[in-house]
Formats: sequence, structure tokens, C-alpha cells
Amino acid sequence: MKNSKRTHSAILALTATIMAAGGAQAYELKLGTNMPPIDIHGFASQGFLASTKYNYLANNTKDGSFKFSEAAVNVSMNPFPRTHIAAQGFLFDVGNVGQYYPALDYASIDYTFCDQFGVRAGRIRRPEGIYNAIQDVDLARTSILLPQGMYDARYRDFSGSIDGGSLFGNVNMSKAGSFSYEAYLGNVNLTDDGGIARLLQDDFGKAPTQYKGVEGFTEGGVQLWWNTPIDGLRAGFAMYDALGFGYKYNVNIPPNLGGGLYHAQLDSPTEHYSLEYTVKNWTFQTEYKHNGYESYTVHNGVSTGGVVHSAADVWYAGAAYRFNKWFETGVYYTEDYANVDDRDGSKTGKGSDAYQKDLALSLRFDPKPWWVIKAEVHYIRGTALLDDNLDNPSRNGDGWFMLAMKTTVSF
Amino acid sequence: MKKNLIKTGCLAIGLCLGAFQAQALDGAVVIANSSVAADSLSADALKDILTGKTKYWDGGQAVIITILPDKTDAALQQACGMDTSAFKTFWQRLAFSGRGQEPKKAADAAELVQIVATTKGAIAIVPADAALTGVKKLEIK
Repeated sequence: MKNSKRTHSAILALTATIMAAGGAQAYELKLGTNMPPIDIHGFASQGFLASTKYNYLANNTKDGSFKFSEAAVNVSMNPFPRTHIAAQGFLFDVGNVGQYYPALDYASIDYTFCDQFGVRAGRIRRPEGIYNAIQDVDLARTSILLPQGMYDARYRDFSGSIDGGSLFGNVNMSKAGSFSYEAYLGNVNLTDDGGIARLLQDDFGKAPTQYKGVEGFTEGGVQLWWNTPIDGLRAGFAMYDALGFGYKYNVNIPPNLGGGLYHAQLDSPTEHYSLEYTVKNWTFQTEYKHNGYESYTVHNGVSTGGVVHSAADVWYAGAAYRFNKWFETGVYYTEDYANVDDRDGSKTGKGSDAYQKDLALSLRFDPKPWWVIKAEVHYIRGTALLDDNLDNPSRNGDGWFMLAMKTTVSF
Repeated sequence: MKKNLIKTGCLAIGLCLGAFQAQALDGAVVIANSSVAADSLSADALKDILTGKTKYWDGGQAVIITILPDKTDAALQQACGMDTSAFKTFWQRLAFSGRGQEPKKAADAAELVQIVATTKGAIAIVPADAALTGVKKLEIK
């Protein structure tokens, strides 16, 4: 906790220093006449979250919470012909997740044989949809919170990066525009202090169950983009499968009643569709994502009920308008469903936990090229994403509000 | 005789169109570091460079994009279909996901020319009235 406070103070100090210096340029580290320089960039964000009825994202937002911070430093260079190296260190805090623990966001090397074909290896930001690879980058969007059913700020350890490799390229199709692709395969390493472990700890942290650990998994997928002949219009399709994501929990009842250690495993084939159109000062976006789940649980070496199939989905549509170089506004509406066969929660008795619908209105102000200030209001119905069960003991489907504010400085 | 006149007319029209296309950017020209082998680029090739689809020159040298914010916005929009804000966001997305290097920024035309002159693989859109020293001008076809 002391370390968290120190790191939070360090982020605030970094933010203040950049602001006091009147902004900072990207830093270029020269390595001598025969070597290309190293480019160094970074950003630091501090946010505030407040909500009217439930605690959401941070665990005390009903009282207002500043536990909403991010900072990153990245380096990149082209040391040899057609070769690019990039790495980014990142830390964040959203409620109880992140805790300012520094993590290697990505560290990869790529070689581009030609525009149509290249290879990348290392820790790679996983391409999925418009925002997955850049969901940490507040600078690169109008809103503060992305549609959380699709890009949940708490589960970045699950969705952000893989350790492995990818093939990528861009194929020009003349009058039909161009087509880009990135296909990847690798491992996702999870820890007990990550966001997905926190979710499971809440789910299995109540008597008589007890959370006992989370396991990494293998993930393979592809992101395709068709850059249409219409300037600014692109359509995307991604699919991936998270294979063998597992977790363990203990059921603290006598063994003869079914107590003991349970091992659950999950495969998650997913499809993700995207459409983005940037025209003049407008940006229009819509995405749809469908998560399939094939889960099974083993107890004492025996499957407890075969493979269980289920599915969740989420969509959003939004628009942003830039008035001038200082002001931008945006709006989006999103719906998230935990089970596509029970959208209103009536079949499973989940009630408002079956869905979450969110209307968000954002205002972005760029007082300087290196400084962004944002404010955002959400009107939310449903509670499907209030995964922090312990923070929200009772829920219903009534609407509630959330206010988010954030400032980011970059260099 | 009549055929020759038609041929000459077509040639003249072609040359006029060529001249028009060579100055296709509003009030701006494209310059590159002397290490860049190319003397000209098609408009599509320039767009591919500015949108990160082409990241290396033919010899493998990395393309280093340099921009002059506020001074060449119209030409940038014309060349890549993005205004300055969209261009900045586009490259932040690439850079912060490890998939590209953010364009360098210059404060004025003289600094822009200086950066391009001293950076291998550099390319930039510069105001047409800027003094071009130590760089090569690329014809846009």
C-alpha cells in the first residue's frame, strides 16, 4: 500500500513536472553516427470516478475515487534495415486492479520483408477491434471510458498482450482499397493480483467457496481490416480463441458432500466486427463482439458435468465531432449481455446482472498539444459489469449515473 | 498534318496535366533526405507512407515522417485524407501499440528542412516557399 501511494505520488509529480515545463517534446537518444536514435515517448494520466448508486470500476466511487491512474514510457528504434524494435513499460490503477505494479506492456521486434508481409515476435499488443491494442492510450480517443463490455479497463492482463509472434502485412487492392492483416499466436500469463484474478476472487471468495489461483492460457487469432476506397472508411473483422484458461477454487464442505479442490477450464472462441468512418471533423464507430464459452470443471479427476456452452455479446455505436484543435465531443451507446440466451435475466434469475446498457457523453479539451482534459457523464441501466460483488451487495435494474474526469500529459 | 496537330494537342494537354499533378499539394512540396533513392512518388505511394502502410524505402531504410503542424495542414489533408488531429491520433495509435514511430515535429519550416536534411530516410511536406537546402524535392505524380 505504501508503495502504491509512492507510485501514485510519482505519477502526479511527473504530470506536474511536464505541465510546469510547458510540455515536453519526445526525447531522442542519439547512439552515435552509425546508429539510428532511440525515440522515447510517454504519458501520465490522472482520473476521477464518481457514481450515484453502485461502486463501479474503482471500489468506492459512490464517494468519488481518484484511484484511476495510468502512466507509460515507450522506446522504439529501427536498428537495421526493415527492422523495428519497440517496448513499453506501463502501470495503472483502477480500484483494486493494477495497483501501480509496473508491467512490460509490450517488447517486440519486427521485420518487414515488404509492405505485404512482415513478422513480429516478443510480447505483442494483441490486435482486436479498433481499441484493444491501444485501450491504455487515453490520448487516442474522445471518451474516457471505452465501452466497458468490450474493452474492460480492469481485465487488461487478460486481453492486452501475448507472448509469441505474429504475421502482418498490407495488400493494395487498387480501386478496391487495401487489406491489412495480423495473425498471432502466443501465451497469456496471468497473476493472482491481476484483474481477472480479482474478478474470480470476488466470485469465489464467498463461503463456502475459496479462490485458489488462476492459470495462463494460449491464444491465437487474426485481425483483418479492409480500408475501403472511400477515404476514412474501414471495416474490420477479428476472431480469436483463448484456449485452456483455467482457475481453481476450493469448496469448503466435507469431501463426501462434494467438497475439495475444483479445477475449471474455459475455451473462448470470439468474433469481433468493426466499422469506422472518419469524414471531415466527424468520426463514426460501431462494433459488435460475440464471446463463446466452452467450460468444464474437474473435481477429483472427474468431470463434474461435461462441457457447458454459453455465449455473451456486446455492441456499441458512437460518434465524435471535433470543433477545432481544442474541443471535441463524443457520444456512444452500448449494450452488454452476459448470456445471449437470457438478455433480460428472467430465465436464469440474474435480473439486472444479465445486462448493462450505457449512454455516454464526452467532452475533450486539448489546451496544448501535450495536454488533454476530459469530462464524461454516463447513464447506465443494468449491473452486468459490476463484477466487484463485495462492493455492491444489492442491485436492481434501475438507472444510475457515473461521472468520469481525466487529464493526460504526454511527451 | 491534322493528325500531327491532334498529337501535339494531346501532348500539350498531357504536359499541362502532368505539371498540374506535380504540384498537386496546395502550397506545399514534398522533400526527402538525400539518402532516399526515389526522385518522385505517386500520390498513392505518398498516401501509403503517410498512413503507415509503407514503412521502409526500397533499400530498407526506415521512413521517418516529419511534420510542420498548422503550416501544412491543407496539404497533409490532401495527401493522406486526414486532418492534423486525425493524423496525430492515427500515429499515436500505431506508436503506443508498438507498431510504428510517431512523426517528428518541427516548429518552423527552417527546422523542418534541417531535420529532413540530417535524418536518413526522412520525408516531409513543406511550404512551397521554404528555402530548401540539403534536401531533395520529390515530384508527386
